[in-house]
Amino acid sequence: MDALEIKDLTKKFRRGKGLKKKEILALDSASFAIHEGEIFGLLGPNGAGKTTLVRCIATLLIPDKGKIFLFGKDVFENSLWARGNIGLLTSGERTLYWKLSAVDNLKFFAALYGMTPKERDKRIDYLLELLGLKDVANERVEKYSSGMKQKLSLARALLHDPKVLLLDEPTLGLDPGFARFIRNFIKEELREKYKKTILLTTHYMEEADELCDRVAFIDKGKIIDVKSPAEYKKEIPHKEVLEIKFIGVIEKSAIEKIPTVESVSLFYEDDITTLKIIARHSEDILSEALNIISKDNNKILTINNLKATLEDVFIYLTGTSLKEDTRESLEE
Amino acid sequence: MRTLRVIKAEVIKTMKIWLTYPIMLLFWGIFPLMWVLPFIFQGKAFVGGLESESFKNLTGTANYLSFVLLGAIISTYIFSGLWGVGNALREETYWGTLEYMIVSPTHPLIILVGKTVVEFLYASVVVFIQSLIAVFILGLRVGINQFLPVALIVFLLLVGFYGLAIALAGFTLLIKEVHGWVRTLEWVFYLFSPIRYPVEINPITKTISLLIPLTYALVAVRAIILLNKSVLDLTKTLLLLGLMDVLFLGTGILLFTYLEKQTRKVGTIAMH
Repeated sequence: MDALEIKDLTKKFRRGKGLKKKEILALDSASFAIHEGEIFGLLGPNGAGKTTLVRCIATLLIPDKGKIFLFGKDVFENSLWARGNIGLLTSGERTLYWKLSAVDNLKFFAALYGMTPKERDKRIDYLLELLGLKDVANERVEKYSSGMKQKLSLARALLHDPKVLLLDEPTLGLDPGFARFIRNFIKEELREKYKKTILLTTHYMEEADELCDRVAFIDKGKIIDVKSPAEYKKEIPHKEVLEIKFIGVIEKSAIEKIPTVESVSLFYEDDITTLKIIARHSEDILSEALNIISKDNNKILTINNLKATLEDVFIYLTGTSLKEDTRESLEE
Repeated sequence: MRTLRVIKAEVIKTMKIWLTYPIMLLFWGIFPLMWVLPFIFQGKAFVGGLESESFKNLTGTANYLSFVLLGAIISTYIFSGLWGVGNALREETYWGTLEYMIVSPTHPLIILVGKTVVEFLYASVVVFIQSLIAVFILGLRVGINQFLPVALIVFLLLVGFYGLAIALAGFTLLIKEVHGWVRTLEWVFYLFSPIRYPVEINPITKTISLLIPLTYALVAVRAIILLNKSVLDLTKTLLLLGLMDVLFLGTGILLFTYLEKQTRKVGTIAMH
């Protein structure tokens, strides 16, 4: 039996008033299943519908259409039972009581999960030790760093020993050291040791590549495909990825018009433009692409011929970069 | 047992958070009684003391100060409930913790009961302090035998008001606004129920006051303490308050359940 089954899930948000009122399709008939004990990644750019999907599974959002089954049971018909079997971790620091200590935070949430004082104390002790928070257990959370707060949030998600974990962008905004700790913890403790079923949403393709057994690509609320990272990379076996970094601006369509170009993405960060072109042979298009870039006195910084990554496959399949923000509203 | 554990955890959590703001705690412990002072000064300025014959004609007692003190104490109980319970879930959204409470297997209504208990305990402490000040400093006379009947009336009043507060909490969850609602209710009660003055002074306030349960409770408490009436003389009032409790609490719970579901539909649980 699958641990989690999503069937034809659709969610629309209605935002604005009067003439400005509009409907945003956050999830568009999304369907997939997660096997017991696997780490399943949901990969897509900001605003693709990842968080909406997680919130539906956690019963925080009621979908307009579709069903979600947890170990064969409809989560909305058995919502209290489902919540008892799900652990949720989201990104962001403001999810804890900052004026309380780690122990007091966990004690409060343990009561909400129906734990007796005896099992609660044992579990809190164990989790704080496991996550390296034992020494600061009685300090107020407001004194913690972002990474420590995220570790405590992870402890809360594991407090009731849930069978399924929903990890929504768990490393977002963390410094590399803490992000590495969280990734290793997910891989070594949660998967290898405790065999948890995990739904991991991320827009970091390295994270999905490293951790996930299978990955669903999601874009504009639609599930594009579900495969293992290795299978995805086989999607573009005979293609090459040309990455050109430069200072300046170009029209994406100018590159798309070059014959044999199959997919193009443009991403701007810190005044540097990153152009990625997927083509059968990169040398066939290189000189033409460089001509277009140099035309407006843009300054070329680097040119690389890369191995295809999950992100390249995503661009190839959707025409969207994972770094893009496709949000239509702040709510998603 | 599980419900009791949730309530206990909510009480402990809130107390610990409150204790990190000692000045606020002190302020709210004293503030609710402060507004009585201008009334005392006004009374003295108008009639040269705190007893008035025309006041007696309207209320049955000439003791203006005791009348206002009882209004202050009883209204502290209900306004603290309205503010506290109505605002409690809003506070959790600011802290970012509401989603994590709602995602637990505890029914949101039980979480709200926990918050109601916290507010009740807090209001009880404030009212206790107010009563001590009213009796020992301002000279309010209360017999020990009057305590139980008054407690019964206050209890019946509070049950209904907590029903209203629970409904408010539901609206707060959906529309993320509580101050406007509670402020409006507060002023409606101040204007149309005999908290600060006898509503009989004006035919409009007198008529509208009959729709507010607080009117019946205030009249009954004052009848016991200031006019030495027995609880048996007030059976009709008690029945009426009981009936209003069923109506307000039932409607409050139904509304909250409906609005909480609506919030999950529109997706605004975590929004500020």
